[in-house]
Amino acid sequence: MAGLTRTAGAFAVTPHKISVCILLQLYAPSAQMSLPFPFSSISQHNRLGLYLLSLTKSCDDIFEPKLENLINQLREVGEDMDAWLTDHLTNRFSSLTSPDDLLNFFNDMRGILGSLDSVAAQDDQIILDPNSNLGMFVRRCILAFNLLSFEGVCHLFTSIEVYCREAHSSSAQYDASNDNLGSLIQHDQMDMEKYIMDKATEEIELQKNASGRVPFHLHTPEALFKVTEEQMKHACLLVTRKEKSSTNTKKAEATQLACASSSTVNDTLVDESLFLRTNYQIQGFLMEQADAIETHGSSLSSSSIESFLQKLQNLAPELHRVHFLRYLNKLHSDDYFAALENLLRYFDYSAGTEGFDLVLPSTGCSMYGRYEIALLCLGMMHFRFGHPNLALEVLTEAVRVSQQHSNDTCLAYTLAAMSNLLSEMGIASTTSVLGSSYSPVTSTASLLSVQQRVYILLKESLRRADTLKLRRLVASNHLAMAKFELMHVQRPLLSFGPKASVRHKTCPVSVCKEIRLGAHLLSDFSAESSTMTIDGSLSSVWLKDLQKPWGQPVFSQESGSRKSSTFFQFCDHLVSIPGSVSQIIGASYLLRATSWELYGSAPMARMNTLVYATLFGDSSSSSDAELAYLKLIQHLALYKGYKDAFAALKIAEEKFLTVSKSKILLLKLQLLHEHALHRGNLKLAQRMCNELGGLASTTMGVDMELKVEASLREARTLLAAKQYSQAANVAHSLFCTCHKFNLQIEKASVLLLLAEIHKKSGNAVLGLPYALASISFCQSFNLDLLKASATLTLAELWLGLGSNHAKRALDLLHGAFPMILGHGGLELRARAYIFEANCYLSDPSFSVSTDSDTVLDSLRQASDELQALEYHELAAEAFYLMAMVYDKLGRLEEREEAATLFKKHITALENPQDEEPNMA
Amino acid sequence: MVSKESCRNEIRAAIRQLSDRCLYSAAKWAGEQLVGIEQDSSNFTPSNTRFQRGSSSIRRRFSTNESISTPQPSVGFSQPPATPLPQEDEVIDGDLYLLAKSYFDCREYRRASHVLRDQMSKKSVFLRCYALYLAGEKRKEEEMVELEGPLGKSDAINRELVSLERELSALKRTGAIDSFGLYLYGVVLKEKGNASLARASLVESVNSYPWNWSAWSELQSLCTSIEILNSLNLNNHWMKEFFLGSAYQELRMHSESLAKYEYLQDIFSFSNYIQAQTAKAQYSLREFDQVEIMFEDLLRNDPYRVEDMDLYSNVLYAKEACAALSYLAHKVFLTDKYRPESCCIVGNYYSLKGQHEKAVMYFRRALKLNKKYLSAWTLMGHEYVEMKNTSAAIDAYRRAVDVNPCDYRAWYGLGQAYEMMGMPFYALHYFRKSIFFLPNDSRLWIAMAKCYQSEQLHMLEEAIKCYKRAVNCGDTEGIALNQLAKLHQKLGRNEEAAFYFEKDLERMDAEGLEGPNMFEALVFLATHLKTNKKFDEAEVYCTRLLDYSGPEKEKAKSLLRGIRMAQTGFPSMDMEHFPL
Repeated sequence: MAGLTRTAGAFAVTPHKISVCILLQLYAPSAQMSLPFPFSSISQHNRLGLYLLSLTKSCDDIFEPKLENLINQLREVGEDMDAWLTDHLTNRFSSLTSPDDLLNFFNDMRGILGSLDSVAAQDDQIILDPNSNLGMFVRRCILAFNLLSFEGVCHLFTSIEVYCREAHSSSAQYDASNDNLGSLIQHDQMDMEKYIMDKATEEIELQKNASGRVPFHLHTPEALFKVTEEQMKHACLLVTRKEKSSTNTKKAEATQLACASSSTVNDTLVDESLFLRTNYQIQGFLMEQADAIETHGSSLSSSSIESFLQKLQNLAPELHRVHFLRYLNKLHSDDYFAALENLLRYFDYSAGTEGFDLVLPSTGCSMYGRYEIALLCLGMMHFRFGHPNLALEVLTEAVRVSQQHSNDTCLAYTLAAMSNLLSEMGIASTTSVLGSSYSPVTSTASLLSVQQRVYILLKESLRRADTLKLRRLVASNHLAMAKFELMHVQRPLLSFGPKASVRHKTCPVSVCKEIRLGAHLLSDFSAESSTMTIDGSLSSVWLKDLQKPWGQPVFSQESGSRKSSTFFQFCDHLVSIPGSVSQIIGASYLLRATSWELYGSAPMARMNTLVYATLFGDSSSSSDAELAYLKLIQHLALYKGYKDAFAALKIAEEKFLTVSKSKILLLKLQLLHEHALHRGNLKLAQRMCNELGGLASTTMGVDMELKVEASLREARTLLAAKQYSQAANVAHSLFCTCHKFNLQIEKASVLLLLAEIHKKSGNAVLGLPYALASISFCQSFNLDLLKASATLTLAELWLGLGSNHAKRALDLLHGAFPMILGHGGLELRARAYIFEANCYLSDPSFSVSTDSDTVLDSLRQASDELQALEYHELAAEAFYLMAMVYDKLGRLEEREEAATLFKKHITALENPQDEEPNMA
Repeated sequence: MVSKESCRNEIRAAIRQLSDRCLYSAAKWAGEQLVGIEQDSSNFTPSNTRFQRGSSSIRRRFSTNESISTPQPSVGFSQPPATPLPQEDEVIDGDLYLLAKSYFDCREYRRASHVLRDQMSKKSVFLRCYALYLAGEKRKEEEMVELEGPLGKSDAINRELVSLERELSALKRTGAIDSFGLYLYGVVLKEKGNASLARASLVESVNSYPWNWSAWSELQSLCTSIEILNSLNLNNHWMKEFFLGSAYQELRMHSESLAKYEYLQDIFSFSNYIQAQTAKAQYSLREFDQVEIMFEDLLRNDPYRVEDMDLYSNVLYAKEACAALSYLAHKVFLTDKYRPESCCIVGNYYSLKGQHEKAVMYFRRALKLNKKYLSAWTLMGHEYVEMKNTSAAIDAYRRAVDVNPCDYRAWYGLGQAYEMMGMPFYALHYFRKSIFFLPNDSRLWIAMAKCYQSEQLHMLEEAIKCYKRAVNCGDTEGIALNQLAKLHQKLGRNEEAAFYFEKDLERMDAEGLEGPNMFEALVFLATHLKTNKKFDEAEVYCTRLLDYSGPEKEKAKSLLRGIRMAQTGFPSMDMEHFPL
């Protein structure tokens, strides 16, 4: 806590500032008329002025450039007189031989300032207005120097020596690198000037704010990030579609970003020891680093951050935020013990009061500190590491402590985290994990089911966040609510009495409403952007912008046309929209995609995912980006066949590190399994299935999604191997698990699978109730596509009862046809076609010879699609039927052709071989 | 065994050599051990006896059986010292050396090293380097204050380290380095963070010249685990025993350390150092009475001693000996008020007086003098807890833990503070930590059990487990048994409850205690046995209850009545009892 009480924002004289002063002396030499000596034109003079302006702006940055970098920049600015400028600079430095020279130097500096009554100034005379930006800078430097103690001057002098020595030692290198740099800079010049003017006014306003108090550190988003991130992680439930899209360009951008951030880290290692900045700047810088850790996840090297943090800690032991950053870093590199240790250490030292802007300084530092935030963070950490019960205990305690200290903000966050935890970790409805100690808010709910508890928690959190105006929390709560509405049937909390609603359905309208409410955040933030800016990060953006090649658009040419949209303008000034906000907005798009997937609209799902991938790809956390890629690739596999999907997967694998449990690895196993099943390679399918199951944690209630997926696939593999009773057993136990953990949507697909198993085993009568149950589930959850496929199964079952039911089956099929053909994947469509043909053929009133085209068209369609899918079994069936029809019609040649194709598929099915050793 | 005389001669020579090289604290330590050797009756000198006269009834009291159970034969003593005293390379110091040494004595380190700039003898080289090192250290301390940034300490470093390391490593390569040079090299390497090389260099140094206690203590600070300690390749020498004693103590192997010191006391039977170290070990074993006697004795012999007196004050604090503590505080303060120990003692004194703000002030002062002063951080945490300033307490405890992560008191304090704030679940982690470092302390287990038992958590099964551990560790305060019984009673496991109540009763009987716990146990046992139809035993407990007055007596009467009633239901029993 000591770090907070000391003065923040001190302005210290550093060697870099002295170089700026030297240049200022050149720019505005005292008692000079018109253009000073080395400048050949006024524009040249102005260019130096603008450069100096930007330098003084960036002086509040956490890093100061070394002399070497400064000289490099000077070369770009100074054009033909660069040599003179640098010579002068180095000479001036070498003329500082004793601390006394420094004293004289600053005395001289005073001379370049004009007198305060600027009336006396003549035209044409170059005077530095003491109230201008540059003048203020000079005055601050002089003041800071005068305040230095004798020892301080000595230390400044030694650091100047080091500053010059470093430049000399590396001076040999920059001649070589100079050439290629120069070419980049040529066309930047124009833009830079304009840009600087714009920015300057903005900056002045900002500084005014800063002299007051800018609440720059926004710690809240971090806490929130995790909430949304985790929410999104599990938001996608069903297998879906994909698209190849702009993967290439995205990859390039991502790596660039990663490089940029890691290079800053490396820079830090070098010159950090010399210039330790003010508290304020460091906090801002640490914020940036935290964002970087968040965004790049495990792809950022954790050891480099670690060594940097170590260094920072050595320099500033009272800066406790370092511990928090270390915690974040360890969290993302999955080091449980170190993460825990650092989290506790951070809160022990700072009492939760450093860095959280939840704390108002007036009410904040009470005797009790803010330990409820510690509990909140600890709870989320346990959640992330997969200890749901521990997390729940800790969060319960957090609720209690926040209530005790009446910290409503924290309470709102905690409730959100809790509802998130309850909805995602499969807390079985039967376990009494919550114990008797359950918090007062929820104690009324202890009799309610888990969903109802989640609902209450969300409502509570939303209400509090709304009254406290925590916009990000409101937004993410809306998203969570949308997710809840998507997956759960609205039930009245007290379902007794005559007024109880009978209609058990999810409500897509309210999902849509919640998502839209969540996205409103953006408009709120664009209005109040300036207060959210981070001091340190803004000033570092200054110099980065200077160096950025301006002519080159951030996005590649294909997307250039889209650049005109308003959002991209926001993206260009990422400063004005905090990463957390765009992350939440991005999450809303992903959620939209997921909801469309569930509701069964492939194009809408694909479109929303694409929007996410193009607009929010760089600002999102790596796990969200991974999710978007996953959706796109799944879409590809379903609608375009495996070849495309595997190609896209390869690209995604290069982009994301395939660490254990990563989504990409999961997707790969899923695709391989699906592929193997279709091609009849059951051994491979079984292996993939086992691997998938092996990825899940052994703890109950953790990785539910993964476990369900694994056993669903196991049942399907058994089904394909014609081991019906075993398959039915697996499916049954899966259904029980789903019921226990309240996974309603999965229940529908498991029921469908059971119907499928009975159908295949020839037990159509047994299958019917399952199919009907599945359909009713689909209806109440509005799962249109799944319903269509369940209807297809139902029709198949009817037909299985005998050919006299063909008419009824056909009617059912035709009812589902629009949905299947419009949104279904290749497999579903092919199945529908084949089934249609089957129906016609088994209908005794149907004559092949008169109406052959109806059947043949369907079969042709089906066979085309199945060939893309390499689904040998169904393809063989299609060709068989085709051959039969041709035979009836007497078209022998075509019959032979169909028969050969049939044979081909049958042999392929019977001799499955590993054609994909590279993928497996 | 090494003869006392040879020890004495070795030390005498060593003191001369050490102080000649300005290694004063090592010389001081050696001097203390020299007079700690028991005198032969033949060459008593009056001064010697004066010094040893005060020694002590207590020493005899505690060491009567020592001569019988002479400790395990250690290799170190059975052999003559492997290292003969090194001969001085120059018998007469050069004039320049004399000048340099006097500069050094006046703390003009740079001047001293400058005088010796061209001297090539090993001794001069050492003194030059040592003076340079100290000059760098002094400058570092100054810079630390000058450059202190807004966020704590600056990056001030000893600027001489680089050149010293270069020079010393060159000397080492050519072999032109003596054991003192090796010691300095070890210190420099340690400062630079190269622990393993530093250890190697220090081991080499103590193997060639074992009498330099400073080298041993540097080495000890580098032995952070028993594995490291065992891996050291040390020659046998009696100094090694001293080293092992102190190293074991740091590694919390108190009984091993005590054994070493007991053994050393054969020769150095009057050594204050050994006595203080023994007291320290006993303190860790919570033998407060014994420690108090030892410290009293120590102060009688060496009344102006400040070292280790903070420990004594802790003992006095624990025993609430206010007068003694006040006396100690005043005496130490007059001796040297700017020692962290004396500030700490005054802090303890104020704390005992209930003036916690003042206590905090003195602990702060102690910490200003030594930022790494572990016990001051912990004690300050205790004070803040008393003042109900939990966040400050947590901060102080956390700093203690970061100075030394093995400090179970600070971990315990952290747990306590969080528990006070109503965060028992969070506190559990800290209790677990403290128990990890001291698994045999029943108080820690009880604290953890209370945490589990708190109404917020209400995890009674876990609490029972903890109490069981506490019982196994020998719970002296008798909380655990009673709680175990009550918890079982609460959970409706009457058999277990009866078992623990009985045990608790036995304990109270053995210690001759009475009180509400006893009534409770008796009432429960009587009722329990009665419901189980063991009327005889129930009656025994009831009659015991009758000895006391109060509501319990009435309860006992009614129970007895109930028993009689029940017994009348059984005619056979009735027949038996009737004649009585």
